[in-house]
Amino acid sequence: MEGEVRTMINSLDATRFIASRVTDEPIVASLGNAKYDLFLSGDRPQNFYLWNAMGLAISVGLGVAMARPQQKVIVVDGDGSLLMNLNALATSAVRSPENLIHIVWNNRQHELTGGQPTATAFRTNLAEVARGAGIERCESVETQAEFEEAFLRAFREPGPWFISAQTNGTRSPGRPPKSPTYLKHRFRESMGIVPD
Amino acid sequence: MTAWPQLIIEQLKAHNVRFLSYVPDACGEHILRAAREDAFFDILPLAREEEGVGVVTGQYLAGERGAILMPTSGVGNSINAFASLAIPYQIPMPVFIGWRGALGEFNAAQVPMGQALVPILKSLNIPHFILSRPEEVEVRVSGALKLAFALEQPVAVLVSTELAGWKEK
Repeated sequence: MEGEVRTMINSLDATRFIASRVTDEPIVASLGNAKYDLFLSGDRPQNFYLWNAMGLAISVGLGVAMARPQQKVIVVDGDGSLLMNLNALATSAVRSPENLIHIVWNNRQHELTGGQPTATAFRTNLAEVARGAGIERCESVETQAEFEEAFLRAFREPGPWFISAQTNGTRSPGRPPKSPTYLKHRFRESMGIVPD
Repeated sequence: MTAWPQLIIEQLKAHNVRFLSYVPDACGEHILRAAREDAFFDILPLAREEEGVGVVTGQYLAGERGAILMPTSGVGNSINAFASLAIPYQIPMPVFIGWRGALGEFNAAQVPMGQALVPILKSLNIPHFILSRPEEVEVRVSGALKLAFALEQPVAVLVSTELAGWKEK
């Protein structure tokens, strides 16, 4: 439509929208800006931040989703991370947990290491990759409004869902707690798990 | 006497390890064949071994116990996952490894990794136990599982060719 301004998604704004809709659903965040944004959008024990293990956020999310089938499980990932572990999409499709929502902030670069281009800056389309891997409900979104609509549907309807969001590559200043064991214990406690 | 794969399955069950993630090898298939007979187990095929480190981490975070079955080469594919996820986050993670590249190996391309396997585990401080004889299986697997959940760390169980047999060619 003439005069319409399509502003690219800011991943912090989009993460804040997720945070405004969840109650006690677990969220697994990839290393990098995904976890910084998640922290800024509101730290909570149900957030699990990966401080390394690039690529494994979706694998951790799959494990949580398998163990918690009654609850939506959200993974916030980056294009660089997912590209390092693309095979995990196929593994996720093998199981196809209805409760899994995999969101990728696609800024087409390794922003934190200097903005080097990832494959999505060239020819790769992650939603098509996910669809080809066997994830049935895949969306590619370019504006905040499109993202909100896709997320609400994913939050409401059975998945697994894959949402690739074109983001503008803003660096996030968020810094979550760093102690891995603190993050583990508080997450498990938030799931109602009592230590042995 | 009970077959060694059955002994492993019984110990996994006794320790409430319900989820098994795997990349197949001839050795792991012996264990999986026994596990498929028991509805207690939930079995997930992986494309690459390091995914299993993530999956078992997620299962443990959500209150369930999982183990990984992988070939020797898969340890090479998983080193950073152990070092940057399972170990620092202190995740109990039994890992059953079919030990290639050692006794009776026919394939030279398996040997460098097979010979590096124990030094790699040691350099990461991952405790390991070797299954060579049927009469050792029960106590070593039981002890390894107990240790993994007490220590809250990966613990490796190496299934040797002495126990599982080797490929002729």
